[in-house]
Amino acid sequence: MAQLASALVTMLLGVLGCAVYFYGSNVLLDKVFPTKSGPAQKVARNLRISNTIRPWLFLGPAVLLLTFYLFYPVIDSIRLSFFDRSGDEFVGISNYVWLFNSDEFFESFRNNMLWLIVVPTAATFFGLIIATMTDRIWWGNIAKSLIFMPMAISFIGASVIWKFIYDFRSGDDAQIGLLNAIVVFFGGEPQNWITIPFWNNFFLMIILIWIQTGFAMVILSAALRGIPDETIEAAVLDGANGVQIFFKIMVPQIWGTIAVVWTTITILVLKVFDIVLAMTNGQWDTQVLANQMFDWMFRGGGDFGRGAVVAIVIMVLVIPIMIWNIKRANAEMEGR
Amino acid sequence: MIASSKRSPLTYLVHATVLFLVVIWTIPTAGLFISSIRDKDQLSVSGWWTALSTSEQRIVDRANGPSAQAQEGDLFVIRGNLLTNSSAKVTKFGFSSLEPEAFSAGDLAEMRKGQTLQVMPNGDYALSSPTEWKGSRGQRIFYTAEVPPRFTLDNYREVLSAEGLGQSFLNSLTVTIPATIIPILVAAFAAYALAWMRFPGRALLVAAVVGLLVVPLQMSLIPLLKSYNLIGEFFGVGSKTYVGIWLAHTGFGLPLAIYLLRNYIAGLPGEIIESARVDGASDFDIFRKIILPLSFPALASFAIFQFLWVWNDLLIAMVFLGNNEEHLVLTGQLRELLGSRGGNWEILTASAFITIIVPLCVFFSLQRYLVRGLLAGSVK
Amino acid sequence: MKKSLLSAAVALTLSANAVNAADLMFTPGEDSRFSWSSYEALKSTDLSGETISVFGPWMGDEKGNFERVVAYFEKATGAKVNYAGSDSFEQQIVIDAQAGSAPNISVFPQPGLAADLAAKGFIAPLSDTVKKAVVNDYAAGQSWADLATFKDQNGDKELFGVFYRADLKSLVWYSPDNFQDAGYDVPETMEDLKSLTEQIVADGGTPWCIGLGSGAATGWPATDWVEDLMLRTQPASVYDKWVTNEIKFDDPRVVGAIEEFGWFARNDDFVDGGAGAVSSTDFRDSPKGLFQSPPKCYLHRQASFVPAFFPEGTQLGLDADFFYFPSYESKDLGNPVLGAGTLVSITNDSKGARAFIDFIRSPIAHELWMAQTGFISAHLKANPETYASETAKKQGEILRYATTFRFDASDLMPGKIGAGSFWTGMVDYTGGKDAKEVAHDIQKTWDALK
Repeated sequence: MAQLASALVTMLLGVLGCAVYFYGSNVLLDKVFPTKSGPAQKVARNLRISNTIRPWLFLGPAVLLLTFYLFYPVIDSIRLSFFDRSGDEFVGISNYVWLFNSDEFFESFRNNMLWLIVVPTAATFFGLIIATMTDRIWWGNIAKSLIFMPMAISFIGASVIWKFIYDFRSGDDAQIGLLNAIVVFFGGEPQNWITIPFWNNFFLMIILIWIQTGFAMVILSAALRGIPDETIEAAVLDGANGVQIFFKIMVPQIWGTIAVVWTTITILVLKVFDIVLAMTNGQWDTQVLANQMFDWMFRGGGDFGRGAVVAIVIMVLVIPIMIWNIKRANAEMEGR
Repeated sequence: MIASSKRSPLTYLVHATVLFLVVIWTIPTAGLFISSIRDKDQLSVSGWWTALSTSEQRIVDRANGPSAQAQEGDLFVIRGNLLTNSSAKVTKFGFSSLEPEAFSAGDLAEMRKGQTLQVMPNGDYALSSPTEWKGSRGQRIFYTAEVPPRFTLDNYREVLSAEGLGQSFLNSLTVTIPATIIPILVAAFAAYALAWMRFPGRALLVAAVVGLLVVPLQMSLIPLLKSYNLIGEFFGVGSKTYVGIWLAHTGFGLPLAIYLLRNYIAGLPGEIIESARVDGASDFDIFRKIILPLSFPALASFAIFQFLWVWNDLLIAMVFLGNNEEHLVLTGQLRELLGSRGGNWEILTASAFITIIVPLCVFFSLQRYLVRGLLAGSVK
Repeated sequence: MKKSLLSAAVALTLSANAVNAADLMFTPGEDSRFSWSSYEALKSTDLSGETISVFGPWMGDEKGNFERVVAYFEKATGAKVNYAGSDSFEQQIVIDAQAGSAPNISVFPQPGLAADLAAKGFIAPLSDTVKKAVVNDYAAGQSWADLATFKDQNGDKELFGVFYRADLKSLVWYSPDNFQDAGYDVPETMEDLKSLTEQIVADGGTPWCIGLGSGAATGWPATDWVEDLMLRTQPASVYDKWVTNEIKFDDPRVVGAIEEFGWFARNDDFVDGGAGAVSSTDFRDSPKGLFQSPPKCYLHRQASFVPAFFPEGTQLGLDADFFYFPSYESKDLGNPVLGAGTLVSITNDSKGARAFIDFIRSPIAHELWMAQTGFISAHLKANPETYASETAKKQGEILRYATTFRFDASDLMPGKIGAGSFWTGMVDYTGGKDAKEVAHDIQKTWDALK
């Protein structure tokens, strides 16, 4: 009960504090440099001053938070990657040398690449197929809701759900995992899915595909609706069939959106951590970069230098997407 | 859209395919839910798809010890009942681990030295012997019982009290609500400034926000942990506080928030803003009286986004919030259970369902806004 | 929406609080088996209003057992003790220590990890009084003290913790009834154990239940196997050099021990579920196979704590018993015993934390858990009569009177090895990777640490 009360109070304080800052600072600015009354010359001067200051009042907290939580850590991680395990002693590039001689790194790098190829492709593919098909049926919206639903489930919750599906019972015991039950039903041998090296990666990926397909579907479905009806009608008149329309008319029209969906999921995949942690913790050859970094940072006393090196690798992998993103945003700004 | 008016075979194929996909996408969650309300003994021996049929359990139990024997005629007899669940039925039994199903219920099983064992379908058993039973241990009885399906909320009761999920639920709320509201406020002001105010460095800031959108947040953990350490020491408090995690979630959520909201706010008609300026309204007034009400859909969509993200987060909570009772959030608790109760599916399924129920409710009730926000951010 | 959520939350907290109050199991002063004098001595320290946070690896039933012990400390001193258990203790304690938010007391399952943290200055050294007491009060006290003595950040050697709860690892658990039904005898030598294993297979049964699964710590049960077999195939001096890496991990003698483990674990007929199931089966679920109908296996090698994971109502000595994991008749290496212990250290100094350490090294703290399950103690003043079962008492004696006792090697190796690549290596090995290759990989990680 006390916890509830204190939680409520802290919640209120946090939210109020934030509101008070914005309100108070703006009111204060209006008080110090009044622009509503007074001699015209003074008003003009005050207006100029407050117009220079106000954007920074608006932006201040955001800029501070972004700098502290994202920008500074990136710089500091780069610095830490040249230091020893406790971050005190400069060790040059030895962490990098270690990394590129480590089999564990290549294992997780390979797995990450697999994830990067399979998950965005599969999620976008299924999303596109489902979006196209649900647009044609009367219960499409219900279908969409249900497929979108896994988006709301945490990675860790999803891991429990799928662990249950992959569950394995030895011997003649009845299988309680759905996948093995199906395999046994068709006369196969039950398998311990998450321990089969290499293939188990795909069983983990299915979880993320399951979650992300809904996201791809919703966005692609909106883009498909944006295609002018005339374009499609013209194609129908030309005698094109459904499949041709889909590949020759619809897909090229929404190519830009497909790229956005693809990259968004790609970024997510690079950061994937919870699923691997909960399902295998990187055992049975399923290690990925994000989990490996966490492992080096915090297991066995922790090694900040090596953890940071792995983080840098993730960062480098993201940079092309980052540049592409910035270019796209700039093009958009100019287009307005 | 294209073929909806015609009832061609293709249409049926579309219906069938979508139905198939929907079933595949829903079954995992459905299985979890059904399992979580099943009796735990049944859950561990049969798949959830058999929830409505009778399940067969093989059990080993120990009969009452020799102290419970009574003399009936020439025989020494020990009687008792094996079943705790009155609607269950014994089908087979045995007295040796080598042949646990050697006899059908009701048969008389010959053991050694003239001793016999009989187990009736209702669970009554009788051990009889021409000589007195000796020692202290009771005879083991192996039996196979058919148990009718049973649904129960016991699993939920168990996880909410004994496993401490109730407390974690509250912790998750304490983390999530402010961590959703604060970034909205901060981002809305910033988004407005980036969209409609003129100042040097604006383009650079927009580019920076877009760039930071993709920074893997794992990078931030070590440096932030160190900074929190120093700040915590300075104020004489621990570095793991609710304020700390709110701000962390705010910081990590900001790029997306600013990006989404700026796209939306920049799309509002410029004439309204210009005419308000001409009327002498300050930017603060414009923001409060015009922008905020108009951008409600975008704000709502980001709120849902952030809520789901914070509620479902594990990494940040693991690092910036302790895992003692007052701090452990639901996802953390679930991960612990996954580790410590690896095989207890009744605990896992019920806990997992509790962790996903809130986001699912939020999701289904506010789905419309979520979609709108996603579109504002991605389709341009 | 929000309102109903909150009221639901209120109901939840209320129900959560109801179970927290732990009553005292035995009324102080009544049962003369217990050393109540050390309980009375506690009362002189007044800690009312103080909160002591304790963080350790115990969860589930073990957490309950520990909390019932701690209840006496709370009652006597007035302090409030908050215990949190985590299955990812190894990672979480490092995060907490780095963040400066470490609990007052940490319970380390591996001294190696404690040594890592002590070297970074995250653990408070204990006084000489405590050190003397440990040397005097524990069987082979000096060696227990040495195991908890590490270098601090200045390189000075200090005592950094007190061992509480020892585990005896060289045990094989079985069901006496199942042995009787099948007509098997408890093997006296490793050769007998191996032929018993083959005998069970010939009779159509499955001899072993082996499970390495343990969430983030998956793989560790196999390291115990390898260590036990190391002690049985090589002299203890070789073992000691292996721990410090004077003998490399890919030394043929080490590879030999790993392959010896493979004889048991990599044979589909010898283990329940086949060799493929070994690495993923949870170590807590694994022993349950002994008690199923029909039994899934006859033998389970695991430490003394494992009865906590037997099915509810299992009586030790009646339903389950153990025998010493035997040594080879053909090798003259005596009867070595492998053990381990959890180390209780101060990670955030306070008056309460010091008092808690004093409590933990007093006989009563040991006796109170001895009277429950899964605890054996090397404390000389703890009364063996308080053991809840003859089984536990027998284990206590093995521990106390062992001639060759060795501490769990993986717990002493650097955390990255003993709580990292040794675990993963064993998972790889049971998955079919070559023993030499696995050993070589582990050595490579070890080399990279320097």
